[in-house]
Amino acid sequence: MAAALGPPRKRGARQGWLARQGKAWAGARRDKWRAAVTARDRGDVVLGQRRVYIVPTRAGLGFGALLLVLLVGSINYNLGLGYGLTFLAAGCAVADMLATWRNLAGLTLRAGRAPDVFAGEDAPFELHALNHTRLDRYAVWIDFEHAPAPRHALDVKAGGSAALALAAPTRVRGWLAAPRVRVATSFPLGLFRAWSWWQPDSRALVYPFPEQDAPPLPASGRPSPDGSGAAGSEDFAGVRSYQPGDPMRHLAWRQIARLDPALGGRLLTRQFEGGAVDELLLDFDALSPQLDLELRLSRMTRWVLEAEQRALPYAFRMGRLEFAAALGAAHQAACLRALALHGGAEDA
Amino acid sequence: MKRAGMTLSRDKRDTLLLIAATVLVLAPHVLHLPPWVSLLCGATLAWRALLTVQGRRLPRNLVLVPLAACAMAGVLQTYDTLLGRDAGVAMLVMLVTFKMLEMHARRDLFVVVFLCFFLVLTNFFYSQSIGTALLMLVSILFLLAAQLSFQLTGRVPPLGARLKMSARMLGFALPLAAAAFVLFPRIEGPLWGMPDDSRSARTGLSDTMSPGQITDLAQSEDVAFRVKFDGAAPPQPQLYWRGPVLGNFDGRTWTRVDPLPRRSTPQPLSIAVAGAPLRYQVTQEASNARWMFALEVPQSLPVLADRPVNVSGELEIQAGAPLTERVRYELASFVRFSLQAGDALPDRSRWLLLPWGHNPRTLAEGRRLAELEPARRVQAALARFSRGGYVYTLQAPLLPGADAIDDFLYDTRAGFCEHYAGAFVFLMRAAGVPARVVTGYQGGEMNPLDGYLTVRQSDAHAWAEVWLARRGWVRVDPTAMVAPERVQRSVARALPPPPFGFAGLGRLVQSDPDSLLGRLRYAIGAANNGWNQWVLNYSPRRQQDLMGQLQHELFKWQSIALFLMLCLMLFLVGKFYRRPKIDPVDALYSALCRRLGQLGLPRAPDEGPTAYAARVAAAPLAPGPQTAAGEFLRRYSAWRYGPPDASASLLPILKDLLSRVR
Repeated sequence: MAAALGPPRKRGARQGWLARQGKAWAGARRDKWRAAVTARDRGDVVLGQRRVYIVPTRAGLGFGALLLVLLVGSINYNLGLGYGLTFLAAGCAVADMLATWRNLAGLTLRAGRAPDVFAGEDAPFELHALNHTRLDRYAVWIDFEHAPAPRHALDVKAGGSAALALAAPTRVRGWLAAPRVRVATSFPLGLFRAWSWWQPDSRALVYPFPEQDAPPLPASGRPSPDGSGAAGSEDFAGVRSYQPGDPMRHLAWRQIARLDPALGGRLLTRQFEGGAVDELLLDFDALSPQLDLELRLSRMTRWVLEAEQRALPYAFRMGRLEFAAALGAAHQAACLRALALHGGAEDA
Repeated sequence: MKRAGMTLSRDKRDTLLLIAATVLVLAPHVLHLPPWVSLLCGATLAWRALLTVQGRRLPRNLVLVPLAACAMAGVLQTYDTLLGRDAGVAMLVMLVTFKMLEMHARRDLFVVVFLCFFLVLTNFFYSQSIGTALLMLVSILFLLAAQLSFQLTGRVPPLGARLKMSARMLGFALPLAAAAFVLFPRIEGPLWGMPDDSRSARTGLSDTMSPGQITDLAQSEDVAFRVKFDGAAPPQPQLYWRGPVLGNFDGRTWTRVDPLPRRSTPQPLSIAVAGAPLRYQVTQEASNARWMFALEVPQSLPVLADRPVNVSGELEIQAGAPLTERVRYELASFVRFSLQAGDALPDRSRWLLLPWGHNPRTLAEGRRLAELEPARRVQAALARFSRGGYVYTLQAPLLPGADAIDDFLYDTRAGFCEHYAGAFVFLMRAAGVPARVVTGYQGGEMNPLDGYLTVRQSDAHAWAEVWLARRGWVRVDPTAMVAPERVQRSVARALPPPPFGFAGLGRLVQSDPDSLLGRLRYAIGAANNGWNQWVLNYSPRRQQDLMGQLQHELFKWQSIALFLMLCLMLFLVGKFYRRPKIDPVDALYSALCRRLGQLGLPRAPDEGPTAYAARVAAAPLAPGPQTAAGEFLRRYSAWRYGPPDASASLLPILKDLLSRVR
């Protein structure tokens, strides 16, 4: 959509119909071919000999020209040793070709974790390169297929491994499969470039985008008789030990300060009562069906985050799915997951 | 922050490595560049190194462009051109050094490295020795290491490891290069005209002979040519390598006779030969002259690829153009022959001419000899040389007078081969015997290591030929009368060494071929000759010969069988080399997992032995195999993860347990 709104690209406009068709056809063929190469990538993928491709770089072409000049010079001046130098340099180029290819072939790739993200954020895909061979690998460039230039380089020692996280932009909620990855190298001499394609067996869950200026949390799913609904967290009931996920502003700083950390002091969280009395219910179906589906999901996402942030235990209902009121990372993740996968995308 | 410092210093180290490689490439050029170019380049590279170490910015183009322009002007001033070969090399050298100051992108690195490769080639204009080749290898090693360093992104192995990587690549490239060197189809150069400055004057025999000329040559240890005989080499006294034949004498200098005017059909040269010809191959160094050398009477003319070869009526062999590079030719010579063995010699008068009015004493003696029979006249003259108290020496007294022959024959009585040959021919002519001076080389040094006979400039020699009725031209070597050892061995050994000086040292070594130094000298000579024969002078012709030979050798069944066996061995070695070693206990474990899989209980890829054992225990299996498998897995788990134990007895137990699982 954005592209259509932007200024028309002059070059594209000037290109003939045939050229565009040809380009499209070539692009489709290329995608099909790459997809065919990576179709069976599951788990650990070894870059086999038949899927590592290699072409000379610009420097390599320059080196070819140099060889030609050396050869002509040797012939013209009848330099026996010049022939030797020419062939030796050519031999080095061949050795470089083989070394570049071997720098990639036989490398094992494994997809790592892919944490959940919100739409619009970059999804970091963790990727591992494992070297089960006895050959040190240097300067292996890894990036997603559509990156203009590879941004990450790895060195993998013989028998070792290396990891990196590649960020892929997200736009829509749901599962995001890792884009195809291009692994390339020009080591050692940079005269040739070897590359291969890999489809990481990994996907990230993309939550809906949290609505920016969402209305406040709904008063209550079941309005309390006195109508004061959403209060709840104001009555101080005591302290308990801190648990990961407790909001920072609920820390009982006064009590914490009294405990000497050297004597085993620990963090304490203030506990409130009242929330339980008047339970917060985030009900998807209660939102007006007039609103856009994505907007409703977006609003629900914001509310889940807000409730979690304010430490208001909340129940969650969405169609037949119903979660009892609770707080904490697991509860939040379950709610967000339901929102992300609403409609179509099955929960897998 | 520390990390940033590390990467910066890494860049610096890479740049310094590149500078080192460049210095290696440029170093041999210092020998022939004008001093100011060497100094300028040295200073520039030092400046570059200093900038790198201090981490300062490279100079701007505003500084570089005038500097480069001045350097170009300097080259123009020195060479009067920018395009000649030497001027071009000087320009390239400065281009590389200035490019080092203007490196901003990775592309510039490639430019520098590629230019360096080209500069390595240009060094071969000046030297192609074995040492140069070794230096080339080292330079390439460093160039590759520098190029490789710039490709690294993260972890940088130490310099030694990087050099090792380049060495491995070079090691891979060497056999390829050798194969390409032998097999790549050779084209005879040049593809276009070469500038004149590519050739410089070289020593060798000339068309004239005056006192002192051959003496000069005799002090040169340069190789004139090398000979490889097909069979055994003839003995030293028969090795007369025939060069220019001189018949005109002006009282001081012998020159060639004028060619016959083309008034009539050329006189047929009557040659009678006997016996089988002697076959050999001559590799002649560049002499810048047209003379080629053969023994006695060649069967046919040698063939050169790019120029015609002629032979004169005096059996001199001449190429159509000066030999500006090393050439190799095949020859077959008849050792037993008679030349113009008729009753009368056509053009007899040409070989009797003498300058009038000089050397009266010799002329008078000639007239006295003329009373004898021609053959006796020759013997009488030779007897004079052998018994007249003549001395063979390189330090002959100067003969500045007009009657130089008289002075030599009757007063000084000391000289070199040119004195003896000249005086003898003069005397013979005065006695009415047709005679002429033949120059060339005599003898040579046989290298026992490679069977090549090396003929040096110091073997240059002059002898005489006289014509006798019905015997034709007969070789007479008056020097042999004075110093018989001259023709028995080579000149250097025939002469007593001068008491001091380098020449003496060199000959001391030479005088004892069995000493360690003597043998070392032979070994170096053989290596140099092999280098010349196989590397520097591997011509299209030589390639054809070798290919024919190879074809002949390769298509024998033995060669094919050997090749097949080699392939088989390589295959087997590769197979065993690649097979990973599996622990026998692990192999048994895999076998158990396979067997349980056949029973419907395959092990999940992420399942350890303990978890697997639990699943096996819960599975509906026959009790016998179930307990056996459980026991197996327990023992395996204990062996694999428990404290080290004597596992010697484990194998049979596991085997037994495995056999019970079915």
